[in-house]
Amino acid sequence: MIRLFLAALLFSLWPLTTVVAGEKFVVLLDWFTNPDHAPLYVAQGLGYFTDAGLDVELIAPADPNDPPKLVAAGQADIAISYQPQLHVQVAEGLPLVRVGTLVATPLNSLVVMADGPIQSIADLKGKTVGFSVGGFEDALLRAMLARYGLTLDDITLVNVNFSLSPALITGRVDAVIGAFRNFELNQMDIVGKPGRAFYVEEEGVPVYDELIFIAHRDRLDDPRLRAFIDAIEAATLYLVNHPDAAWKLFIEGRAELDDDLNRRAWRDTLPRFALRPAAYDAARYERFAEFLKDQGLIEEALPAEAYGVELR
Amino acid sequence: MSAQLDASSSASLSAHISGATLGFAGRVLFDGLDMTLEAGRWTCLLGPTGVGKTSLLRLFAGLAAADGDRVVTCGDGEPIAGRVAYMAQQDLLMPWLTVIENVVIGSRLRGARPAYERARELLDSVGLADRADDYPRVLSGGMRQRTALIRTLMEDRPIVLMDEPFSALDAITRLRLQSLAAELLRGRTVLLVTHDPLEALRLGDRIHVMAGSPARLDEAMTPAGATPRDPADRALLVLQAELLARLAAADGGEG
Amino acid sequence: MSLLRPLIVCAGLVALWQLLVWWSGVPPYLLPGPGLVIAAWFTHAGLIAGHALVTIAEILIGLALGTALGAASALCLAYFRTVRPWLMPLLVISQAIPVFALAPLLVLWFGYGMASKVAMAVLIIFFPVTASFFDGLRRTDPGWLDLGRTMNGTALTILRRIRLPAALPAFASGLRVATAVAPIGAVVGEWVGSSAGLGYLMLHANGRMQIDLMFAALLTLSLFAVALYFTIDAGLRRALSWQADT
Repeated sequence: MIRLFLAALLFSLWPLTTVVAGEKFVVLLDWFTNPDHAPLYVAQGLGYFTDAGLDVELIAPADPNDPPKLVAAGQADIAISYQPQLHVQVAEGLPLVRVGTLVATPLNSLVVMADGPIQSIADLKGKTVGFSVGGFEDALLRAMLARYGLTLDDITLVNVNFSLSPALITGRVDAVIGAFRNFELNQMDIVGKPGRAFYVEEEGVPVYDELIFIAHRDRLDDPRLRAFIDAIEAATLYLVNHPDAAWKLFIEGRAELDDDLNRRAWRDTLPRFALRPAAYDAARYERFAEFLKDQGLIEEALPAEAYGVELR
Repeated sequence: MSAQLDASSSASLSAHISGATLGFAGRVLFDGLDMTLEAGRWTCLLGPTGVGKTSLLRLFAGLAAADGDRVVTCGDGEPIAGRVAYMAQQDLLMPWLTVIENVVIGSRLRGARPAYERARELLDSVGLADRADDYPRVLSGGMRQRTALIRTLMEDRPIVLMDEPFSALDAITRLRLQSLAAELLRGRTVLLVTHDPLEALRLGDRIHVMAGSPARLDEAMTPAGATPRDPADRALLVLQAELLARLAAADGGEG
Repeated sequence: MSLLRPLIVCAGLVALWQLLVWWSGVPPYLLPGPGLVIAAWFTHAGLIAGHALVTIAEILIGLALGTALGAASALCLAYFRTVRPWLMPLLVISQAIPVFALAPLLVLWFGYGMASKVAMAVLIIFFPVTASFFDGLRRTDPGWLDLGRTMNGTALTILRRIRLPAALPAFASGLRVATAVAPIGAVVGEWVGSSAGLGYLMLHANGRMQIDLMFAALLTLSLFAVALYFTIDAGLRRALSWQADT
């Protein structure tokens, strides 16, 4: 992570006004390629990007915290990121803005062992909860616990980095937060240790977009951005209309993704893609900003334009 | 094994090795070699490099084992173990110990209380009293070898084995230390291995040249007079010529 | 020891850092200038101090344990020849496997508390300490050993009075390396799974886009690592004061 930092620093030694030369439209994924990125690969496979005159390069980072910084530094055109983190990034002064939505529902969930003692959030009292580096798991948990009269002092938080399922399955923690319901749940099912999920939006957290497309605030007049989002929309429709054909496009040239886990995740993610990726629900974003402010994660809940736009 | 009965004072001890056989790297160094160190006398051993002088000394020291069962015995019939003091060409002073700690290292190794007063007296007798708390690295070569000599003396063993102890020193220091050693080690049984015929003649009561492969000892040369002998002495110079001749023969001969 | 020169070097580095930030125009969420980092340091002093204590404890315990283990292994290797073919491969493996690969396993076995971080530090320093100490023990001047034997030293007294002091310079080299890398072990362990420590704090701050805090934690860690090294180095130089500086 520090190395990536230093690499970013080296990049930024050139003045930021000069954009990376060349025609490539650099898209940073949020993590390694997985079914959450289906529309991108379908669009690529069907040639929707080239039809729109885009020479798209898809890059998967090792650390989900880096893509926003790289977009803010002008080293990438668009990145996939998370709405909750966007609010925090904007509060810290990063010149980022949401230009499209990829997954329009939350994916985050609190997961426990299905055969375990925890039947409701109230049972978390005195237990250990593992989390990934998200920077806002406290906010989620605090809201979820508050509905049952509990506080963060009633639990022990442990950073397990991205090793959520192993930590839960081996019993090292009693619950994990930050587990994606389309992924970790399937992972646990496959190894024969099924989990039970508490969906955050059903436990007191306002609804939000789990995966969004972000770009640099000063580059919004780049016509390629809207072209990109349109290609994503077309690909999403194709996904809905032809799910099996779309799957074949996803694994073409990526045989390592053709496994049980990805197949199950694909099936569970399909209904969650934004059917209107460019559309922006201003009130929803403002409501979530208020929530984060109440949880003490940001100082001020800014108006919707500070967080996202609807590209023309 | 034959034992030699000690003829002189009971304080000194003779040592004897008989039938010693030793091989090294496929070569036979000596085969059935006999040697006696007379009680209270200095025995000097010369010879070409590699003939086996050091190996023979190490046999006496118990640092090497001869092939077979031959054991080194002393005049009183007891084994030699624990009754030798050893001095090598390097002073073997341990750099992490001060001079005085180096001198008493023997007691420490035996788990006994060191006799610091005696150590200081001895150091004083050779002019090193004010260096007692210095580290070896600040001493000259001569001082270091003097300290080694005191350490040897401190061991207070009847038999002293010295392997070219002064050869790394300059000529004048060497002469001085020879005289010092002769004084300090008087009355003890000493085996001195050396390259220097003059040194052997100054200090030795019996001088052997070791030669051949397998090596043999020639008949001992026994110079007259008390040690340390004067290097300017005529008689000594005559003997030196003879010794050199013997050495040349040893080297040019079967060596 | 004069502190003036190291202080000047530090001041120079800080100045260089600030110049870099000014000239390159890099935004504070990528590389904050020294002013912002120092400000964050003071603002979050309590938070940083709390996490620093955890990491410091991990480093110190890991160093102590790793050194003890390494010294014991070196003695085994030196005195028990039959052990060598078994222990040597383990030694090399401990060095060859990248710590990033081992860290998750250690965390899974030892849990998320301090134990896994200590284990990581121990693993990282095991090889340097053992290898250097073993080398020193192996190369004791045979002359001294001869002397010791003729003086009737027992194996134990020869070990204590001759072999150990003679091997101390070699051991010191290994210990210096260990001191320099032990912090890495602790922090990598924290990155993989923890609930406290400077590594944990860095991850957390990074996730929250509080890059100034992240650098403040990093700075604290660096300062401690440097202070630790110089302390141990000074101690070793005192213990080895008899050595000539060639």
